[in-house]
Amino acid sequence: MSRWILACGLWCASLNVQALDDPWIVLQKTAFAARELNYQGVFVYQNGSQMRSVQITHMNNGGHELTRNIVMDGQPREVFSQGSDIVIYNAQNDKVVIEKRRGQNLFPAMFPTNLDALKASYEAKLGVVERVAGRDAQVVELVPNDGFRYGYRVWADAEFGLLLKMILTTSNNQTLEQIGFTQLSMMNTRDVDWFQPKIDARKNYVMEDATEVNHVTDNWVIANLPPGYRKIDHIMIAVPGKSVPVNQLIFSDGIASVSLFIEPIIKGARPKLGHKQVGSTHICANVVDGYQVVVVGEVPAETVRQISRAVSFRKQALVDK
Amino acid sequence: MKEQLSALIDDEFEISNADHLLIAAKSNGELSQAWMSYHLIRDAMRGDIPQCGQLTDRVMAALEDEPTQIAPSSAIINAAMVKKPLYKTSRFWSVAASVAAVMFVGLMLFQSQSVDENALNPIEIADNMPTEYLTAHQTYAPNSASYYVQDASFTEPR
Repeated sequence: MSRWILACGLWCASLNVQALDDPWIVLQKTAFAARELNYQGVFVYQNGSQMRSVQITHMNNGGHELTRNIVMDGQPREVFSQGSDIVIYNAQNDKVVIEKRRGQNLFPAMFPTNLDALKASYEAKLGVVERVAGRDAQVVELVPNDGFRYGYRVWADAEFGLLLKMILTTSNNQTLEQIGFTQLSMMNTRDVDWFQPKIDARKNYVMEDATEVNHVTDNWVIANLPPGYRKIDHIMIAVPGKSVPVNQLIFSDGIASVSLFIEPIIKGARPKLGHKQVGSTHICANVVDGYQVVVVGEVPAETVRQISRAVSFRKQALVDK
Repeated sequence: MKEQLSALIDDEFEISNADHLLIAAKSNGELSQAWMSYHLIRDAMRGDIPQCGQLTDRVMAALEDEPTQIAPSSAIINAAMVKKPLYKTSRFWSVAASVAAVMFVGLMLFQSQSVDENALNPIEIADNMPTEYLTAHQTYAPNSASYYVQDASFTEPR
């Protein structure tokens, strides 16, 4: 009997060692920990020359996720999310504009819980243990298989598995973007008093002009996509200042995402052309068959360029929608 | 007098009394002509006009010697063209119609190009940043670390 117990104990220990050895399991743990744990802290986001601090409070209240993010720098901005519903209180000079958004993978829940798509395009390597925000963190390198995406370096909390820090790197190991906790603590309270905006009685609270979003199931022909990217959504959005709705197709390789915008060029309007980089974001504008095509993504220049050239579509599809 | 001359030719007039007729036929133009005509008529009636047969033969021989013309009608048109003024020829008008058609199409193209002058004059996004696309990307893309801070990171410092 004691032999059996010893055997089972050894087997479980080997499983545990195997889990710690597998960088993919470390990454998957960050995805669950970010959504299930109760924590509060301050993280810093830096992209190009811009840097902002954000105070975050997250609670999983019986399966319902509640998050409050307060942007500490620049214009006051509070982001509340409940499940996949996001409400933003955006303070302006004399008023507070309330914006509604849909769910996203927001820091520290940057990774999806299903990593299969990522495994096709990246190789994960376990690194050393480093100290971030006063805590021990396991480093995982996500190395891209090709030049169509950047690399990621991830620090995962050694104790709770939470994502503590993440940087976006080029193939030359140059840091493009980084986001990480400077201070983090776990919460034991069940109190949700914090889940409300700071109301400024001197200001008017106005709802943002509702941006109409229609989900489109129509299949456009985007031939020759860079490998690993697949279309995850296609929406029609009403952009302020534009008389016609704009098609937005979203592609992702599991972590990196690219938006493709397509709109007819209105007579008299000057089409946009060319390429630009803003921080980690590359933008490529092109004209295809009388339509303005703009591709935006936190991906290498070649990726947005290739997607902008891959567009071909049935005009009828545009007219019908 | 012509009747006497005719009778003389037909041997119905006494030749001894015909001196005045012969003299008159030699001197008088009209009688001389009549003299020859009557002789010709008499020979023709007798069927012995050697000159006639020779003429027919000569005409036929000349036709044989004539070179064959393959397209006599076009030769006629060419001759006509050379003579007609340029604007009266059908070829002139067909060429003119072609030129007019080309000019019309060219004008149409030129006009449509001038309408789409803006299309030939695109905005270089490196100079003029379309922020609305960035905002929409950050708003709707599922992974964007810059989500909370899009105003801060993508607008120029105020």
